[in-house]
Amino acid sequence: MLKDKLSANFMKKDYFIFLISMLLTISALAQETIVKGSVLDGTTGEPIPDVTITIEGTEIVTKTDAKGEFQFDAILPLGEQVLKVEQIGFETKRYPIVINEGKTVDITGMTLNFDSSDKKDLFIISISDDNLNSEDDGLTDNVSGLLQASRDVFLNAAAFDFSATFFRPRGLDNANGRVLINGVEMNKQFNGRPQWANWGGLNDVQRNQEFTMGTAANDYTFGDLAGTNNIMMRASKYRRGGRVSYASANRSYQGRVMASYSSGLLEGGWSYSVLGSRRFGEEGYIEGTLYDANSFFVAVEKKINEKHSLNFTGIYAFNRRGRSTPITEEVFNLKGRQYNPLWGIQNGEQRNARMREIDEPILMLNHYWDISSKLKLNTNIAYQFGEIFNTRIDFNGTRLIESDGQDTFVGGARNPSPVYWQNLPSFYLQGQNQSTYDFQQAFASQQKFVNDGQLDWNKFYTANQINGYSVYALQGDVTRDQQLTVNSILDAELADNIRLNANISYRRLNSENFARIEDLFGGSGFLDVDAFFQDTRQSGNINAAQSNIRTPNRIAGEGDKYRYHYDINSDVISSFAQAQFKYNKNDYYVGANASRTTYQRDGFFENGYFPNEPGIIGSFGESEQIDFTNFGVKGGLTYKITGKHLIDVNGSYFTKAPGIRTSFANPRQNNLIVRDLESEVIQSVDASYIFRSPIVKARLTGYYSNFTDGSSVNFFFSEAGAGLLQENMTNISRQNIGAEFGLEAQVTPTIKLKAAGSFGQFTFTNNPNVSYSTDEYYELTFGDGTSALENLRVSSGPERALQLGFEYRDPDFWNFGVTTNFFSHAYVNPSALRRSGFFPQDPDSYDLDQIIRNDDDRFINISGFGVADYDENVAREILQQERFEDYMLVNVIGGKSWKIDDYFVGFFATINNVFNQEYRTGGFEQSRRTDYLSQIEEGNNTGGPIFGNRYFYGFGTTYYLNVYVRF
Amino acid sequence: MNKLTFRSAVFAILCSILIGVSSCVQDDEFDAPNSEIADPVFEEGTIFTNITAVAGLLSQEQDDDDNIFDPQPLDYSNENTVFTYGFNENDIFLEAYVISSDEGGNFFEEIILQDDFENPSIGIKLLIDVNPLFVRYDVGRKIFVKLNGLSVGITNGVLTLGQGAGNEVDKISPADEFEVIRRSSEKEDIVPLPLQISEFTENKTNLFVQLQDVQFNRNQAGQLSYAADAADQFDGERILESCSESSSLILSTSTFADFSSAILASGRGTVNGTLTRNFEGEQFIIAVNTLENVQLDSPDRCDPIELSCGLAASAGSNNLFSDDFETQSTGSLISGNGWTNYIEAGTEGWEAYTQFGTNASQGISARVGSFQSNDASSIAWLITPQIDLDANSGVTFQFETSNSFSDGSTLEVLFSKDWDGTVAGIASATWGVVSDAYVTEDDDFFGAWFESGIVDLSCETGQIYLAFKYVGSGDSDSDGTYELDFVSIDAQ
Repeated sequence: MLKDKLSANFMKKDYFIFLISMLLTISALAQETIVKGSVLDGTTGEPIPDVTITIEGTEIVTKTDAKGEFQFDAILPLGEQVLKVEQIGFETKRYPIVINEGKTVDITGMTLNFDSSDKKDLFIISISDDNLNSEDDGLTDNVSGLLQASRDVFLNAAAFDFSATFFRPRGLDNANGRVLINGVEMNKQFNGRPQWANWGGLNDVQRNQEFTMGTAANDYTFGDLAGTNNIMMRASKYRRGGRVSYASANRSYQGRVMASYSSGLLEGGWSYSVLGSRRFGEEGYIEGTLYDANSFFVAVEKKINEKHSLNFTGIYAFNRRGRSTPITEEVFNLKGRQYNPLWGIQNGEQRNARMREIDEPILMLNHYWDISSKLKLNTNIAYQFGEIFNTRIDFNGTRLIESDGQDTFVGGARNPSPVYWQNLPSFYLQGQNQSTYDFQQAFASQQKFVNDGQLDWNKFYTANQINGYSVYALQGDVTRDQQLTVNSILDAELADNIRLNANISYRRLNSENFARIEDLFGGSGFLDVDAFFQDTRQSGNINAAQSNIRTPNRIAGEGDKYRYHYDINSDVISSFAQAQFKYNKNDYYVGANASRTTYQRDGFFENGYFPNEPGIIGSFGESEQIDFTNFGVKGGLTYKITGKHLIDVNGSYFTKAPGIRTSFANPRQNNLIVRDLESEVIQSVDASYIFRSPIVKARLTGYYSNFTDGSSVNFFFSEAGAGLLQENMTNISRQNIGAEFGLEAQVTPTIKLKAAGSFGQFTFTNNPNVSYSTDEYYELTFGDGTSALENLRVSSGPERALQLGFEYRDPDFWNFGVTTNFFSHAYVNPSALRRSGFFPQDPDSYDLDQIIRNDDDRFINISGFGVADYDENVAREILQQERFEDYMLVNVIGGKSWKIDDYFVGFFATINNVFNQEYRTGGFEQSRRTDYLSQIEEGNNTGGPIFGNRYFYGFGTTYYLNVYVRF
Repeated sequence: MNKLTFRSAVFAILCSILIGVSSCVQDDEFDAPNSEIADPVFEEGTIFTNITAVAGLLSQEQDDDDNIFDPQPLDYSNENTVFTYGFNENDIFLEAYVISSDEGGNFFEEIILQDDFENPSIGIKLLIDVNPLFVRYDVGRKIFVKLNGLSVGITNGVLTLGQGAGNEVDKISPADEFEVIRRSSEKEDIVPLPLQISEFTENKTNLFVQLQDVQFNRNQAGQLSYAADAADQFDGERILESCSESSSLILSTSTFADFSSAILASGRGTVNGTLTRNFEGEQFIIAVNTLENVQLDSPDRCDPIELSCGLAASAGSNNLFSDDFETQSTGSLISGNGWTNYIEAGTEGWEAYTQFGTNASQGISARVGSFQSNDASSIAWLITPQIDLDANSGVTFQFETSNSFSDGSTLEVLFSKDWDGTVAGIASATWGVVSDAYVTEDDDFFGAWFESGIVDLSCETGQIYLAFKYVGSGDSDSDGTYELDFVSIDAQ
């Protein structure tokens, strides 16, 4: 306690010290105008390296060195200025100074206090949560991870308070942001998104982050619309010290332990940093969502001499997680928002059928070369390897019966999911005229679902045991990647006010994909055929059922690959250059990039539906190589009206190669490439007005982004296409337009008021092309092959969000804050199939199987089977895009810290959604029965729709508590 | 930082890793649960019953006078009466053995049960809205069905157990599955009951029977699939013929069966399956669980001898034999003009008739039909005089047929070279099929007459007789009538 008071006094003395320094500078006889000084830890007195010192209202920035010292080299503005001193993990401070020509201002001994709020942990929670649950559908991605390093008021609100609800700043998703670790891009080639779990649980060693908003000038890469976040994980960049913490929560995990220690710069130029953490939980807020994650980190750096430094960073983050799934309103009404149909009890333990396991260590070697004080070259080699897999129940195990020289496959069961449509009351209440018997059945199924409603694991074992083969098995869909990245990043100061950044990079990815038997459930083996399709003799292809014609009727055991097996190989070469110019009134930058991307599939199974025969796009061996050449330009200007008022404008035009995911029409089964696949073209402009005074910080931004030639994929079961479809959408045009603001007022030294808001509109601006593929055909299209999405909203969370909040920060090292957050204008993700040429068809008036059978090339178009009395008005009503209800979430945050001897002890806690508001964060329209007539029926059912929209429901009241010791 | 602090740091890291490791969650390894099937435990006072007793209660319910001293046999045509077990009694459990399996997709949401695993006497169909069932109820499994609240009745012509819906029996809700069905640990090999087609009776339905020495009809075997041909709507119906008696039946397969697209076996042998009635409840059919039940391995088929010279372009001008039946007297059996008219079984023979209107005769025509004759078996022959194929060249044969809902009955055109011309010798003679002659089929319009085509006999030699043979199905209610006219045999 005494020490606390001392340090508080010390803080008060800061002004005194700086006055003394001022006097000293006046008396100094110096030719040059110099501002220099040093920064110390306010509590320990240790120098803090890598602190960013900015002269406010200018772009003049420097950083402290290992001894915590800094000096400005640039031409300095004279007169009264404000120095802003900031470092991640510390509270930012602002010092007023006076710069006189030819004088030196020496402010040695400025102090920064450690930021005990520890907010960052929370970002990581929401990230892990959403992304690990993600169905790769783009709905559940969250960019909050990207934004955590930002000091912008609005982005802070977005990252911290808006992230619980799929809110996306400017309607952008993860694939629009870049995440770098030590300058190496971590976004996956598969879908363009970073896999946050690859470095989850490393919070303590990820405090050094540099965030660049949007496409603004960035030292490492061209960037992207949602911004770029470079996480510095160099051993020498960590301050000396350790930290041990324990967190308890009830959102995704229940507990987390974390311990880290960093050496700081040691004698001989060595430094190192280590971290170990574990996150665990039997279940999170959603039932059955087991959490099991271990993370390890090590970095070692050797400063070879003044010019060279070599760093090694190794990250191993293993993550295993039970997933949940969006549910229909019917299920929600019966079971509530915590319900998860994916688990059941086995031997008294919860077991989730859909586990996701991520196990992809990263190793990197970084070389830093200060060629001169103005020229720096950073070269990196990174290697990432390992696998991601998702499990699910394979319920189509069969056995072979040879009779009269013919192979037949019997067995196969029905989807065992408790929310399978035939298990729910609505199934019995189809149509409008129900008998007593129907109501009895509906009631019985409701009782059964309410009282049980979970997976029956014993059934799987019994079935396999009494039948002597595996009817059920646990399938793992595995992606095993090996990725090598090499890049060099140049930073050159061409003149005092001109800086050049450049990057050249090569990335090679080998991605092996296959299904694997994870568990036979006591069965003896799994017959590797596709039992869904029985009409093989009709099509004249007796091998169709075979996953691999080359090993027919193979029995797969546990750990064996089955169903599909292929590689995707990808090469990306990219380069980037950027020049930044800084002047008194204007700063501006221009940048450009160019890249070439290639993809090729290499199949190892010759699929029975797609044999390597002439005239057929085969499945075995290499596909055509796809390549994309991309380029981009960007530029921006900051105009300083005064030091307080700034105008900032950024613009960019660039193209992006589609991800691997959207490039192949049905990669599990064949080599077909999505037709008319193009690089996405992105044009964007934003303009901001920024106001800064010692009390008020504010930003108001308007933005407009336009995307054309986009592509996406989707998977679902539909009666429209006779099975599980891959939906390939191309030529997607959309636009995001809106405004956002952030306002922060330090009304007293202890009380800060905050306001942030975003108002956007994210719409499709054309009717994209949609086609479907399955094992029975390459491509199925309806009508003119487009989907009428124009003017519908792109589902990207609430388009409108508003936050009002305050923070109280007591000098006695405790703090407390409340935010109130309003959300509105969130829309359901529209089904493209429902708005395609399929919708007005009458599916009963044609026999799809027959058409498929009679078609030679298996490129099929369905049109001309229109519904007889199609009513435009009825159709319009059916196709109305659902808008979710508005809602309000209140979050509370607080913490306190103490210093005991050399240790800092503290805690930090939040309560989210204090009033336990029920709300939908997102959702999508099901595409199973989606034609006009079926939709009318769905709307008229006594028991409500059978295939209604599925929703993600937000969490109720949850808490997070973190206790730590730092030394 | 001093060394002491550093050490404590390392210590703290180790500690927390230890804590971390000890904070275990359920791992990937799950022990297989005990999937052994334990015998159910019944409450005290539970009554056990069998299918015969269940059927008895239904027949009593069907019986109008309710006289328990005069029990009537079960009326399989009464689909409007159900017997429902009350709830407020002791538990009543039916003991029975599973004989059907939906593993092959040929049964759907039903389990066929019989009263014993060998020498069964009666079976019952249990309707339940659960799919698949084979994952829990394997063939040969003894199960107990709790009857309280369930209803028994006749649906689709067979004895059925399920949930009552009005005066019908419908499926049991999946929610009630475990309440209603209990599995015993007992599992037996079902011994199929050998049965001749002629021995089929309604009370043998829902039994797992064995048809010995059978084959698919020669026009279907090796050609059609089980149920995946264009004409197959819900079920594929294929003709299974007996080699040991002159009879056939339908093997019915769902178009949803896993083996629906397999081609019918071409050999001869044994078929095991559930004897049941078709959807309309009109006809006996057999349904197999999987193709393991079809063992037609012997290549020696028992097809009839065929006379097949194709069709001739025109008939010769030298008439050897003809009859337009105009000289016959209506209402009487066909006679004279060299005809041999023989009733091999039953009471119905070929007779002359006239009729007007939609289903008109052609003047006086000949007809035969056993509909509602109550004959256990109906077989009637009409045989021409002997024709000398050696003395005549280019012999052709023509006639016209029509039908009136022929349904289960058949009309065949046969020939014999060794018949001695006596009625007594018909049975012992060798009869082959004149396969090129078109005989009207059941789905032809009943009002129309169909020409046989100019059937060429010239590739055969010697002395032959031609015969029209009518065979009823054995169930006269599902038989119909064939009409015949303008029989003519000509030579060059």
